[in-house]
Amino acid sequence: MNVTRREILGAAVAGMALTRCGSSKTKSAQTRRVPALGYKSAVSIVKAPAYTTDVYDTVYRMVADHRLNVRGKRIVLKPNLVEFDPHTSINTHPMVVHAAYEAFRRLGAADVKIAEGPGHRRATLDLADAAGYFSTVPKFEDLFTDLNLDSVAKRLVPQPVSQLKELYLPCTVLDCDLLVSLPKMKTHHWAGATLAMKNLFGLIPGGVYGWPKNVLHWAGIPQSIVDIHHLFPRQFAIVDGIIGMEGNGPIQGTPKNSGVLVAGSDVVAVDATCCRIMGIDAKKIDYLKIARGEDNLAESAFRQIGETVAAVRTPFELIDPWRQMVRAA
Amino acid sequence: MTDWRSRQNRDGGWAYNKGCSWTEPTAFVLLAQTVTQVDRRSFEAGLKFLRSTQRRDGGWSPQPDVAESTWVTALAVLLPEETVGADRMKRALAWLEGQTGRESSWSYKFQMWRNGDKEKYPDGWPWFPGAAAWVIPTSLGILAFKRALRRGEDREWRKRVDLGAEFLFGRVCADGGWNHGSNRALGRDGDSYPETTGIALTALAGAPRSEIIRRAITRGRRHLAECRTAEGIAWLRMGLAAHGEPVDVTPAAAPRTTLDAALTAIASANRNPLLI
Repeated sequence: MNVTRREILGAAVAGMALTRCGSSKTKSAQTRRVPALGYKSAVSIVKAPAYTTDVYDTVYRMVADHRLNVRGKRIVLKPNLVEFDPHTSINTHPMVVHAAYEAFRRLGAADVKIAEGPGHRRATLDLADAAGYFSTVPKFEDLFTDLNLDSVAKRLVPQPVSQLKELYLPCTVLDCDLLVSLPKMKTHHWAGATLAMKNLFGLIPGGVYGWPKNVLHWAGIPQSIVDIHHLFPRQFAIVDGIIGMEGNGPIQGTPKNSGVLVAGSDVVAVDATCCRIMGIDAKKIDYLKIARGEDNLAESAFRQIGETVAAVRTPFELIDPWRQMVRAA
Repeated sequence: MTDWRSRQNRDGGWAYNKGCSWTEPTAFVLLAQTVTQVDRRSFEAGLKFLRSTQRRDGGWSPQPDVAESTWVTALAVLLPEETVGADRMKRALAWLEGQTGRESSWSYKFQMWRNGDKEKYPDGWPWFPGAAAWVIPTSLGILAFKRALRRGEDREWRKRVDLGAEFLFGRVCADGGWNHGSNRALGRDGDSYPETTGIALTALAGAPRSEIIRRAITRGRRHLAECRTAEGIAWLRMGLAAHGEPVDVTPAAAPRTTLDAALTAIASANRNPLLI
């Protein structure tokens, strides 16, 4: 594929602001957050070969293994809904979302909501319907909040690494006790990979910032991912890698059968582990480096529950320039 | 007829679906009422909400809890002048006139020029101040200033309308329609969407039947045959009608939100209030 300079610049102006992405290496080196965890975060890796009813039990066991105290708590499940095309693997599969809903209810959560604010398409309910959410999740519309159109409150971004100083955020998410990111395992043409952290872009209300949420692009994509992640300290993630997306993700890629679910409370650890499964060097993904520091992203930094990375590793096809930049050895 | 009053909030505005009042659905419900049947009490309450939420800088925020004027200002300008008031309208237009995509700032153009980029970056409108211009806010900005020009106001606005159209022509997707505004990324073509194709065609009403317009109409018709959202269908009907293209068969899609219902009512009316 030949990418001309004009196209890249055109794309930048179309909201992706590559000039700022390009400067992220310097910025990340200067401003990275490196929390001293003092322990090894646990990440669950479980084989799940297909979207069958087994997924319900698998997801329940994964959540239960992490011994989250969710009894009486308010949970928000945040899937990744992007496009209408039902023949691709763009969106988080509704069965994974419903399985998570059932798991948290079974573990005693007082309230479990499903919420999403798609970045390009405005008809969120139609999008959810086309993605199979209405037919899979009973009373879906009663459980669902369109985060693009929710009530909002302004929050300062603490110690920002992006150019964001403050953000309007949806009250549904601000009011919850645990935010559960349910992304699709996908490559991403601007960020390298889109997983649990990048999925949180969908929290930013389109009703305020528009479709797409272009203020985040100008503020620096990897830096904004980190800043939004830090706004929500109580998170859990379950990554839908049963069928992921490789190539020109997050929209125009092709389905990738990777047959895996990955979960954990340390979302950075979950994303770094997913990168390894995808054959991507986590140390070369800017937002992971900024969030945790290059030295803290090694496989040995995390405690794996279930399968090893090697047992489920399924290298994802990458497009240029990512193919050269992030492919793991 | 849609029962707008039953969906109306106590403050006079309308929510997209449920919850607090937002400027966009409120403006579209009022526009729908102007070409269908006005429920006088409901209409006045809606106007009162809009009048009370205009910001000191002349713009409107998306909803009262947001302290920033944004693209929705264009929607208030599309209402009949006598409803919002001439002075309010004038201040709103002045605010809108000052908004462009960040990429058309001199500093950004200079940066691009230094990088060897000779693109023009015509002035469109952003969703949010300080961000790039995109197809929907630019289309609504064009419609707002066309409306003001029809009222005989500042002729200089014609230039903004022309630049906005130039922006849209530059963002046409390879398939002939429009998406949100990113028609090509990393060497790959983006697909167009029904709703953005419809809204861009509406904004380009009156444009000569160029090859771009012909292809967009063809793409719009294909979208209409496949589209399953009330929002997309409504905008496509408006966009095709704006170019004199009859829409014989309308696929069914039930409105899910108040905004859907308002857009459907507008698209079904004999005259489009956005083009009056």
